[in-house]
Amino acid sequence: MTATSIAQIERQRETVGGARGGRRSRRLRPHGLPWILPALVLCVGLIYYCIAYTAVISTWNWDGIDPDPERVGLGNYLRISKDPIFWKTIGHTVAFFVVTFVIQTALGLFFAVLLHSRVRLAVVYKVLLFIPVVLAPAIMAPVFRRIFAPDGQFNWLLEHIGLGSLTQPWIGQESTALPVIMAITVWQWTGLTFVLYFAAMGQIDQSVIEAARIDGAANSSILRHVIWPGVRGTTLAMAILSAIGALKTFDVPYLVTGGGPNYATEFLGTYIYRKTITQSHVGYGAALSIILLVLALVMALILQIRGGEKEIR
Amino acid sequence: MFEVRSLRGRILLQMLITLMVLPFLFPLVAMVQGSLAGDGWANYAAVLAVPGLWRFFVNTVIIAAGVIALVYTVTMLAAYGFGKLHLRGREVYFWLLLACLTLPEVVLLTPLYTTAQTLGFFDTYLAVILPLAALQVPFAVLLTRTFIQGIPDELFEAARVDGGNAIRGFIHLVIPLTRPIAAAILIFTLIAAWNNYLMPLVFLQSTEMQTITLVPQFFVGQFSNDQTKILASAVLTAIPEIVAYLCLQRMFERGLAAGAIK
Repeated sequence: MTATSIAQIERQRETVGGARGGRRSRRLRPHGLPWILPALVLCVGLIYYCIAYTAVISTWNWDGIDPDPERVGLGNYLRISKDPIFWKTIGHTVAFFVVTFVIQTALGLFFAVLLHSRVRLAVVYKVLLFIPVVLAPAIMAPVFRRIFAPDGQFNWLLEHIGLGSLTQPWIGQESTALPVIMAITVWQWTGLTFVLYFAAMGQIDQSVIEAARIDGAANSSILRHVIWPGVRGTTLAMAILSAIGALKTFDVPYLVTGGGPNYATEFLGTYIYRKTITQSHVGYGAALSIILLVLALVMALILQIRGGEKEIR
Repeated sequence: MFEVRSLRGRILLQMLITLMVLPFLFPLVAMVQGSLAGDGWANYAAVLAVPGLWRFFVNTVIIAAGVIALVYTVTMLAAYGFGKLHLRGREVYFWLLLACLTLPEVVLLTPLYTTAQTLGFFDTYLAVILPLAALQVPFAVLLTRTFIQGIPDELFEAARVDGGNAIRGFIHLVIPLTRPIAAAILIFTLIAAWNNYLMPLVFLQSTEMQTITLVPQFFVGQFSNDQTKILASAVLTAIPEIVAYLCLQRMFERGLAAGAIK
């Protein structure tokens, strides 16, 4: 990779940024407020109303029915800070995010690069990778429960490829239940990561790659110095989406493992559901919801700011 | 991207990618194989014979169509306002909207539940359509605003000089020019609305209102945990999704290539 081609990429980035920033003759423009009003009413109205409502409920000790709930102030939050299951869900969320994000990024890049390399039947691979994205987790949950059952197809497969010693009740024991949830998530979302990387790679200037190749750069160094920096924006967007996705995780653990065994796959989402709906500790569930919301916002801000810093550097 | 010149290299590459895709295919094969175990095709016949299966599909279609219509209208209007019109405090409004992107839907449960019951929305399509649309709009606006900003200002100015107002600009420029990004939004919204589980689970209690994501649970009750029939129902509900994706696949890729996400 030569200095010239790096400078070339930098210049390209600048022109793209410059074109977007151009704004002029603002006073001639009609007012935009009426145009954004429907969206504001729907989103801000509905969502912020719900957040405010949840914040109020979070200071009650409420079962969801009692017309005169007891006001406990920050009592619910204090109880949460001492709740071992809450801390367990935080640990699961962090582990889940790190593992699924790293594997999805690696696989997504791998498939995107290979399918840009004149592989035959590329459409078939693309479709196969993306089908899991369109299938509802709720529909696939019974399938995965079946596959990972003690007499399921996964153990059957292990036995038939000579790994019979590894067969175990994957969902039923604490040590493997969380990895199963992670595997299902990777199965489901790798297709999206791949498609986004594939689109981003299509926008990398082919002439830069050609230039690097003429200079004798190997495939691996093109990947490191041209492709990886070229898709940085996508990687960052995927990091934010996966972090928020990890915090939101609900369908798969709720339907495949029910949060168990012994809370081994409990996530904030399933814990809130368990507290609010199953156990009718609505106030406690609301406090958990507010914590979840704050975590999601902080996570998005951190990733956004860190991403912005790197862009400037 | 990569250049592999030798025939051996290309065969190796092909084998490598085939091997890596197999795990993604495995659950689908296991699903079909499991659904044919025991009684074979009779499993499908038994599932299809259950009265009211159609209801689930019809409900899902109604809800998805409602969410898409609402998201599309509201997003196009807002993205035009954000992208090309004069708006004081633009960034404040935009961040108000974007903060909603981080919102986990469980947070909405209790307030929506009590509100829907007070307003009489409970167990109606609206109780699911409104929150689903509200959760989709921020992302859709984010994508569309960036796209509309990329349309040259000169086009809008020319329209104004010709005596057109903002509404004409919207109808004659925004709507036709945003078609590629609209395709991407259509598909993201369709997937989100079609696949949502939590909202119908909580807000649609009566069986004749429920959606296809609740089908497996419905069949657990119907067939007292006969796994093969539950898997057959999963295959039957998965087929329309796969067909819809295959039909829209071209459009979707064009939408992404149009610079939807960078």
